[in-house]
Amino acid sequence: MFAKRLMNGILERRVMLLFALSALILSVVCGSAFAAEEKVIKIGALFPLTGPAAVSGQNCLAAVQTAADIINGKHDFKDFPLAEKEGLLDGYKIEIVPGDHQGKPDVAKSEAERLFNQENVFAIIGSYNSSASKPASAVAERLKKIFMCGASSSAELTERGFNYFFRTAATDAIESKEFVDYIDYLNKNKGAGIKTLGLLYENSEFGKHAAIEGKKAAATIGIEVVADVPFTVGATNMNSEIQKLKSTNPDVVFGAALGSDYSLMARTMKQSNWAPKIFINYCTGYQNPSINKELGSDGNFFMGGMGYSPEIAEVYMKAALPAQEIYRSKTGFPLDSDSIQESVCLHVLAQAIEKAGAADTEKVVNILRSETFPSPLSLSGQVAFSPGGQNNKAFTVITQIVDQKYLTVFPKDYADSELTYPFPAWDKR
Amino acid sequence: MTDFAQVLADGLMNGAIYGLVAAGLSLIWGVMDVINFAHGEFLMAAMYVCYWVGVLIGLDPLISWVLTGAFLFLLSAVSYKVVVRRCIGKSAMAPLLATFGLSIFLKNFCLNMFTPNFRLLSGTFLEGMVFNFFGMAIPAPQLAASLFSLVMLYVLYYFVKRTRTGWAIQATAMDKEAAELMGIDTERIFTLVFGLGGACVGIAGGFMASYLAVFPEVGTLFSLIAFVVVALGGFGSIPGALCAAILIGLVESFAGFYIAPVIKYVAVFALYIVVILIRPKGLFGW
Repeated sequence: MFAKRLMNGILERRVMLLFALSALILSVVCGSAFAAEEKVIKIGALFPLTGPAAVSGQNCLAAVQTAADIINGKHDFKDFPLAEKEGLLDGYKIEIVPGDHQGKPDVAKSEAERLFNQENVFAIIGSYNSSASKPASAVAERLKKIFMCGASSSAELTERGFNYFFRTAATDAIESKEFVDYIDYLNKNKGAGIKTLGLLYENSEFGKHAAIEGKKAAATIGIEVVADVPFTVGATNMNSEIQKLKSTNPDVVFGAALGSDYSLMARTMKQSNWAPKIFINYCTGYQNPSINKELGSDGNFFMGGMGYSPEIAEVYMKAALPAQEIYRSKTGFPLDSDSIQESVCLHVLAQAIEKAGAADTEKVVNILRSETFPSPLSLSGQVAFSPGGQNNKAFTVITQIVDQKYLTVFPKDYADSELTYPFPAWDKR
Repeated sequence: MTDFAQVLADGLMNGAIYGLVAAGLSLIWGVMDVINFAHGEFLMAAMYVCYWVGVLIGLDPLISWVLTGAFLFLLSAVSYKVVVRRCIGKSAMAPLLATFGLSIFLKNFCLNMFTPNFRLLSGTFLEGMVFNFFGMAIPAPQLAASLFSLVMLYVLYYFVKRTRTGWAIQATAMDKEAAELMGIDTERIFTLVFGLGGACVGIAGGFMASYLAVFPEVGTLFSLIAFVVVALGGFGSIPGALCAAILIGLVESFAGFYIAPVIKYVAVFALYIVVILIRPKGLFGW
């Protein structure tokens, strides 16, 4: 009796062991089969998807997804590398893994760690806010992983000597130089008489660095800084800020206000019935078509540096127009100067992976450092990185909004309009 | 001198608006001892209502404040019935966490419904209207919002101090059990107070949408300032809330102009710390 039970027990255990082994083998076989079928390269897209900069963050994510759609699909886009081929390498697809840093540097750091360590992404694209890009890219550098930075413009980001950090957009140093070149041109050729500068900027990594670069650039042509006005991001009002500018009345103002702060700034200027002769913005709310649509005529005559606008694309970046339509289908708006830089990041990274022949970080980094990439989404048409990771082909033009259209006013080779000067008084429009 | 007058006018106008935003919070806090963390999101909801009725049916904020007030009264009362009521009498953290959850729900609901886009109400009756006198520029939308805030605060004060329902509210705030023994339906009073709190912020939001961008995060800093106003003025005190709000508006405005704009909120919170250290129950607290 005991022997029978023992035999039954052993048999049961054997059957169970057999089952377990079969299940294990099946899962391994199936798993590897799925893995073989699922040829994907995961790319993290770390942006402020919620929080005060959520509009821009979601636009940036849509721009990255636009580039992924182009790379993954088969398109007959002219002069657009990787568009005609379906996927990368021998059939790999790009999979975008979003991360939300809410505009907070500490969250950006932990999200970068999550994307690399848990999601196993090959690289991260991000992070719009310079203050978030800084800690997130430090995580990538520590892990020896690639960080592609699009629109974060703080010049300091590419002055850290990082090996795995690459930025496609123009820095605020480059933009500041373009601003003063234009002012110098206006003074010398149009007798504009611009002698004093006011700075209005958010009290953040981006704003503070923009102001520093603005002051440095202004000093090169002898413009005196008469107002230095940082403000708190997400302020309930901007009365003191605009009153401060109004009381010193600078000829030109360099602005660095994102999102709702930009619209609040424009409206407060209108209510105070004050404007400088010209108002030039860094990469800010100025570049966001949805904000300018809401501002309507109140957004007119502001100026800013732009690496892209639908109007510029019609003339100089025709190859980018099909990409704009994909993006428009996702957001309802055309591409803007900030978000397109995130598309450029993925497009350049994908070209480097293709050239490396594998998603091998070191090989891809070497190619990113050494080669020049064709980039139909960039105004210069090319991307090449200097040591430190700055795109040395980055180039922007100065535009002015008139009736919600971005008219190019400088450099003269690109200009399609004359500047409306000075900024018309609010009560005389 | 013109600068001084302009800064003074800006401070007074902002202060009056902060007063109405904070009055509802003060009432809820004073009567129910509940900290409503969703107060900023109620403000946001009111601004969205004002924006959408403006865009869809062309209703001007000068009229739609009635609608935003009524909508927020309902939203607030329903929030009380569905969420907050279940936390009353439990641990002190329970209503705090419940309203915090409510705030996250409302913010993300609007984020998904309306996208994070900034929306500006255009073509309103007062848009672009600026009164210029003695070198000052007084924008009509802010002036209307602040004057109306003062009127609404007086109405609220009168209601609480001079009507039978108001006395019942005061009695409930002083001693809930004693009020019940006197035949006051405290549950009804709580619903009413929560609704009134929402209505106040709803009316303020209705006016503010005429000059501020509407987006899911718009209420964040306003709610923080409202908390400071309530603590500074004294819990449950409407005159206290108004005085504290005006004081905060002035400090913000003068510090922003005469010290540095980036200091204006530092000055507000520094003032708050000083007052709390010297007089923890607030300026008008008891």
